[in-house]
Amino acid sequence: MSGNDFFALLPLLVLAGSSVLIMLLIAIRLSHRIIQRSSSFLFLIAFLSIFYIQKVFPYSLEPLLIVDGFSAFIMGLIIFSSIVVNILSYIYFEEKEESPKEYYVLLFLCTLGACVMAVSKHFVSLFLGLEILTVGLYALMAYLRGRNKSIEAGIKYLVLAAFSSAFLLFGMALIYLETGSMEFTQIAKNLDTIQIPSTLFITGLGMMLVGVGFKLAVVPFHMWAADVYQGAPVPITAFIATASKAGVFAVLLRFFNEIDAFRYNQVLWTVTFITIATLIVGNLLALQQKNVKRILAYSSIAHLGYLLVAFIPGNTLSLYAVSFYLLAYFICTLTAFGVITLLSNKVGDAEDIDTYKALFWQNPLLAFIFSVSLISLAGIPLTAGFIGKFYILLAALQSGFWLIALILVITSVFGLYYYLRIITVMFSGNKIKVAKDVNPNPIFYATSLITLFILTLLTIGIGVFPAGIMRLIEHLIR
Amino acid sequence: MDTIFYITAAVSVFATLMVITRHNPVHALLYLIVSLLSLSVIFYLLGAPFAALLEIIIYAGAIMVLFIFVIMLLNLGKETAKQEKEWLKPRIWVGPAFLSLIVFAELFYLIYTSVPETNSAIQTVDSKMVAVSLFKPYILAVELAAMLLMAGVVGAAHIGQHKKSNLHRFLKETDDL
Repeated sequence: MSGNDFFALLPLLVLAGSSVLIMLLIAIRLSHRIIQRSSSFLFLIAFLSIFYIQKVFPYSLEPLLIVDGFSAFIMGLIIFSSIVVNILSYIYFEEKEESPKEYYVLLFLCTLGACVMAVSKHFVSLFLGLEILTVGLYALMAYLRGRNKSIEAGIKYLVLAAFSSAFLLFGMALIYLETGSMEFTQIAKNLDTIQIPSTLFITGLGMMLVGVGFKLAVVPFHMWAADVYQGAPVPITAFIATASKAGVFAVLLRFFNEIDAFRYNQVLWTVTFITIATLIVGNLLALQQKNVKRILAYSSIAHLGYLLVAFIPGNTLSLYAVSFYLLAYFICTLTAFGVITLLSNKVGDAEDIDTYKALFWQNPLLAFIFSVSLISLAGIPLTAGFIGKFYILLAALQSGFWLIALILVITSVFGLYYYLRIITVMFSGNKIKVAKDVNPNPIFYATSLITLFILTLLTIGIGVFPAGIMRLIEHLIR
Repeated sequence: MDTIFYITAAVSVFATLMVITRHNPVHALLYLIVSLLSLSVIFYLLGAPFAALLEIIIYAGAIMVLFIFVIMLLNLGKETAKQEKEWLKPRIWVGPAFLSLIVFAELFYLIYTSVPETNSAIQTVDSKMVAVSLFKPYILAVELAAMLLMAGVVGAAHIGQHKKSNLHRFLKETDDL
């Protein structure tokens, strides 16, 4: 490896190095506060390093990785969400029964795994990145190991993720058998020499879709999502809903674009079916939920469906739409989970919808933040979510996918119902004087609140002036 | 060559089926070892002697021994000795022993007859080639694998740690859950 290679890998190196560094800090028995602050700082360095390496794009490290504008954008999103999760973690874990220190090491490793996936262009790096992410997540989900729900979430994810990894590996093996390569561009080249792809190749692609579908929790591979979202600690749920999905989605996009998988009708129909099923089932299942974490779980399934709608056309516009939508989705999901984190206490998470009753009269600021994020998730104008959905519809309609676009619009209307239901609950009820419990960590509470407030401003800001972000995305992806 | 492949494949499929149908974990592990041994013969047949050796040393050797030790340590008790005697009936060990005998006979035959490169489609991958590809193009993958192991170790250390509590049970705080 040359000096330039190290330079291009700077964000990954920072993340990997910080995980070791934090482990050393734990070894000399520093306090939770110091460890949390230093990991925030290290995440920030990793985030800033992405801007620093911009001048070498696109840079490929044969044969495994490629660092280009798109992967840098996704890496930025992933590290950004890790920063927010990291900030929220302090007040969540400070009052919990477990020592929260290893948590930060695992968070760095999971972020590293997601980022590796975003830059990978080879099956080996794809799989290693995925495994780093999931192995870290098993432990993070079951982190509060005294709680049954947590353990249940960890075990469920462990079994299903291992199972889906087997599918993914078998699919990769079949594709390797047919094309003789594991590198995306090489696969594409070898595919061009074969006119009609064999059944084995299509089977391999299908099995890879099953494996990836499990990780993305798209219907019909979504069964684990609600239980895991409910059982995992709230900051980790936010991480699962955002960073872990972005990495997998980015590598799927790169692979499918590289080999132009949608020229095969079977693949096109399968993905279309998955998309439609995800849109309908994700939105319908959320309607009757009483648990806010589960509602957000089904909502994240539905949002993955929206992303798939933009993914199917497979052209440049769909790249823009996916990038923009990921940004909008990240911001409002992180905000929503942030509010849940702030309302959670030592005993349990604020997951029951009745906890939110009359929140507007007790804590107007939090209620406002939560409302904006939910409105943006629902896709109402003047928020980032609306513009994101607009671009997705544009991408789908421009390539003539009328049916999917229509289903997207109809299911979004269903979506409105359960988002607005939470908001109405927050406004309902009378103003009751609740004895304000003294917050033990006022500084960290304030930091988290300010972070959420900034995210809310971003949601509205991007919704009103999307041009700047769009220019940035166009500049990066080209 | 083909016959040997099919025999080995049959052995490994049969052994794996036995793994998932046994009630006793130790019996299942015996069959799992056989399954791994037959897989290593398949690797050898495909022209990857180094991978075959690694399969035996790492999987059938180290990991399986660890498994068996853990299970044995968990079973400590007074009745264990009696139980172990019951487990060691010929009915139990004759199956795995017979299967591994088949695999051993195949390996012996393969080495004894070792045909020098009749099948040109198979290219032998020796340890040097493995090392070169691991340390040249795939060096990043090796390093990522190290991070993967670290994630596993840190996670297992957290999930598995015991909480030290020196309090008498009457003095314990009751509000911790």
